[in-house]
Amino acid sequence: MNLAQQLINGLVLGSGYALIAIGWTVLLGAARLVNFAHGQLYMLGAFIAWFIMFKLGLSYFLSVPLAMLALGLMGVLLQAMMLRLVMQQNLTSLMIVTLGFGYVMQGGAAKIFGGDPERFISPLQNATIRFGEIWFTWQDVLTLVGTLLLFGVLWLVLNRTRIGAVVRSVAEDPKLAQLFGINAALVYIGVFVFECAAVGLGAGLVAPRTPILASMGFDEVILTFVVVVLGGIGSVGGSLLAGFGLGMFTALFGALVSPAYTTAAAFLVLLTVLVLRPRGLGAK
Amino acid sequence: MKNLATPAALILAALAYFVPTVAGGAPVAYAACTTIAILAVMAYGADLILSYLGEVSLGHTIFWATGGYAASRLAVNAGWNGWATAGAAIVLSMILAAALGAATLRTREFVFSLVTYAAAVVAMEVAFNWSFLGGSDGIVGVPPLELTILGHGITGSSNAELWPIAWGLLMLTLLFIHRFRRSRLGTSALMVQMNPDLALALGVDARAVRFLVFVASAPISALAGWLYAYQRAYVGPDMFESYFLVLMLTAIVIVGRRLLLGPLIGTALIIVQQTFFSIGGDGDKIILGAVLAAILLLWPRGLIGVWDVLRRPRTTAR
Repeated sequence: MNLAQQLINGLVLGSGYALIAIGWTVLLGAARLVNFAHGQLYMLGAFIAWFIMFKLGLSYFLSVPLAMLALGLMGVLLQAMMLRLVMQQNLTSLMIVTLGFGYVMQGGAAKIFGGDPERFISPLQNATIRFGEIWFTWQDVLTLVGTLLLFGVLWLVLNRTRIGAVVRSVAEDPKLAQLFGINAALVYIGVFVFECAAVGLGAGLVAPRTPILASMGFDEVILTFVVVVLGGIGSVGGSLLAGFGLGMFTALFGALVSPAYTTAAAFLVLLTVLVLRPRGLGAK
Repeated sequence: MKNLATPAALILAALAYFVPTVAGGAPVAYAACTTIAILAVMAYGADLILSYLGEVSLGHTIFWATGGYAASRLAVNAGWNGWATAGAAIVLSMILAAALGAATLRTREFVFSLVTYAAAVVAMEVAFNWSFLGGSDGIVGVPPLELTILGHGITGSSNAELWPIAWGLLMLTLLFIHRFRRSRLGTSALMVQMNPDLALALGVDARAVRFLVFVASAPISALAGWLYAYQRAYVGPDMFESYFLVLMLTAIVIVGRRLLLGPLIGTALIIVQQTFFSIGGDGDKIILGAVLAAILLLWPRGLIGVWDVLRRPRTTAR
């Protein structure tokens, strides 16, 4: 095993985990909403981008923003349907509703895009960079840079702008925020649209690594749970750290112990942490 | 009225036994009824958590699969009879539930759901990779179920022969849920869910209640998985599929939570649609998911809520 290579792999994997998870982290922090359709949104994002690129013949760099736009529009629709439950903060029902949405997306995608695995190939996937024995692709670089950029912008928006203050106030106390004339419903829709678009970006950047399949949602994004919970509910910086930590763990565990049990091992870490600290590592 | 409840329930239970006969007695009728009974029992396990604790357990596929794997592994490799494998399914599922229940003791709401879901993913990965459990191929060639009841040997090699056993298991489950609802544990669970402050004031140990209900719910789903293994003569990692999870939750919420017969009617509606009015596997997924979402979005209390809406004008006029 080449340690340096595994560390690079961990960094790349970790940036992907963090990128896919960030939408959910923000959603959970601002709206206390758990979206179990998150995995299926990732799957849809990948398929929409694939469809635009390979069926409509547009460039990769156009297909990803278009997929983000499509998912964002879907986010408006989904959140509009859930708005009453969100305003009541009926979290139990919301969890089950999103699970139902996810199942609909899975069936719908299989009907529209077919049940066979497809390859969503990015032009940067074959452009490799080598330093001696260590190598990575330009796609990896794009994912890492894209992730850092998104997290940086997001942190600035949440902490340094008026919009961020509004979102944080709704997260803190929606009723009080409404007394101050903040339209909480609008904030919830905005946050949900951000989640959908962000996972669309994640799919556009990360999905080229593996074949895409209509049924992949539940499996592919389970690691998102780990990132979101370990990073601390709603913590932007925390989920970036947790993403990289998990990426390193996955790369090293896969190389040193067993690739087949990587997900199981990651969840055991999560379970241990939750037994010790039920509100996550980042919780105060 | 109350004195009539027991005979009425007995008559209903007896009538239920003849449903496949009335439905024509064809193999497909027996298959559908047996499947409904098995999956309804599976749903009742999760119902205990969702309806009475008010939490969403996404981990009950673990217990369902535990029952299936216990039955097939012990029947195929060790030649155990039906009673022995059922006992193993109960014990193993309760051990697993105790471990998971202890790990999730301090978690609530979405953290509880996430952790139970994570545990199910871990369990699936273990089943998928562990050759002891057949790995990705699962365990094939489960022999027909053999049970000896009061000296009479019953063999369940077809759905028609399995139906009495499935019916019996369903009736036992309904009796258990009925008793649970009136038990100290059941009422404490509802109190912890509805009014935690009152529960605390009355000295109810919320964590103990949650733990006990969780452990009590596991063998129900496990026994369903146990019978499912004999029905299909095969178990595999597909018992962890989200289909069963979505089915459990939909069956519980479709008619309304906290109704004794709710999950049974819900399961029956779903399986009848999928057996007789199927529009293909992917289409059925869309229907199942859409029903689940639509019920909670439109009538959060389930179809029973529609009844209330229809009845409202009369009650307000009074």
